[in-house]
Amino acid sequence: MQPIDLLRKRFGFPPDWLNGLELKAEQETIFVATPEAMQFEQINPLRRGLRLCRLFPNSVKPTTFAMQILGRTATRNRIEVTEEQARLLINNGEIEIEADAENGFVIVCWRSFVVGVGLYKKPVLKSHIPKFRPVD
Amino acid sequence: MKDKKGFFPKQFIERYEKFIPDFDDFLDVMLEPLPRVFRINKLKAVPDDVLPMLDDLHPEPLPYIPFAYQVKNGAGLGRRLFHFLGLIYIQEAASMIPPLILDPKPNEWVLDLAAAPGSKTTQMSAMMENKGLLIANDLSYHRLRGLIGNIDRMGCLNVLVCRSDGILLARKMPALFNRVLVDAPCSSEGTIRKSNQALLRWSIRGIEQFSRVQKGLICAGYQLLKPGGRMVYSTCTIAPEENEMVLAYLLKRFPEAEILPIAVPGLRTRPALREWNGEHFPLPVGHCQRILPQDNNTEAFFVALIRKPVCAAN
Repeated sequence: MQPIDLLRKRFGFPPDWLNGLELKAEQETIFVATPEAMQFEQINPLRRGLRLCRLFPNSVKPTTFAMQILGRTATRNRIEVTEEQARLLINNGEIEIEADAENGFVIVCWRSFVVGVGLYKKPVLKSHIPKFRPVD
Repeated sequence: MKDKKGFFPKQFIERYEKFIPDFDDFLDVMLEPLPRVFRINKLKAVPDDVLPMLDDLHPEPLPYIPFAYQVKNGAGLGRRLFHFLGLIYIQEAASMIPPLILDPKPNEWVLDLAAAPGSKTTQMSAMMENKGLLIANDLSYHRLRGLIGNIDRMGCLNVLVCRSDGILLARKMPALFNRVLVDAPCSSEGTIRKSNQALLRWSIRGIEQFSRVQKGLICAGYQLLKPGGRMVYSTCTIAPEENEMVLAYLLKRFPEAEILPIAVPGLRTRPALREWNGEHFPLPVGHCQRILPQDNNTEAFFVALIRKPVCAAN
């Protein structure tokens, strides 16, 4: 199965997910951007759009920042957390939570917003959010 | 009054008291800290999502910038959850004006020639509704890392990041862009309220060096514009050598370039100088505007809007 199909299936994204955007694989990363940004060839860029996901031998890991903008429509393997839990995860902690999710990568949400990506191994949710300045 | 002036280099006072109106007020405000200002990232949120989370800070909307708010005590704003989520971007109010004047539209091709750290890039990406192409260029690799971090946090899908000399870009891809922003590296006199670093580095020689770089960049930006395209040239500095004189240089190199009038409802601006140190500027340079700190409680900025005529040769 293609990486994008794997993401679509695992997170229950709608069929039109990523419509109007283009993808490009570079080594173990897939980038997502507008067609104009993806097809622009006049210069050699450092980056086009956002990193969508990383490819591992047996799994695909979506990135926190791509999910923050493109992951809100996930219907499966998303875990709702409280504000306090969101802070703990952003500060690279882990929490224990009973959630209706399979083990593996999950999308962590607070209210209607995606906080980032975590790795769930019932009942432990471990942060895979990139290191950032601590959140108070 | 003597103490106040003593904070600034003597030459700084001598140069600017000649032409900055209400000079006492100017000096007073330059010694006050800046208010904390942020804008809501329209790519991720609407005010109704975000403002209730900021109730404790009592945000007040800025009358001249949509989705921008000022808070009295914004300490720690960058360590709040909604900041990490990319729902807001902390950005000085005057620094939001150049993109507002450039007014990039969805699906256009836009170039930010000196983009790092990405405040104006991410603002323009939101104005373009994450559509089309926005090239964020900068020469400093170190500064580009910060820019990429901001693009990630704000969720910009239409941004392509590159590291190049602006003058080389103009040679590689002339007449390609609908809009170009040249927010030029400058002596940063306008940022003294944020940090006194600019004052510590301040020198006439430094101003002259920046002016040379800026003249190259404004011409490069103009060459990168499609006929009919628009460019904004801006700096966060006061020195006429880095502002009006740079525009006069552009008109000398490209006499067909049009400098357009600027007006931002609710924002008080002052017209550009007509002459400096005996050099008289062409009439259209008077369309450029200065944003003075005492007028809107901001940093100092200079903004010019330039149009490349449809009939311009490349």
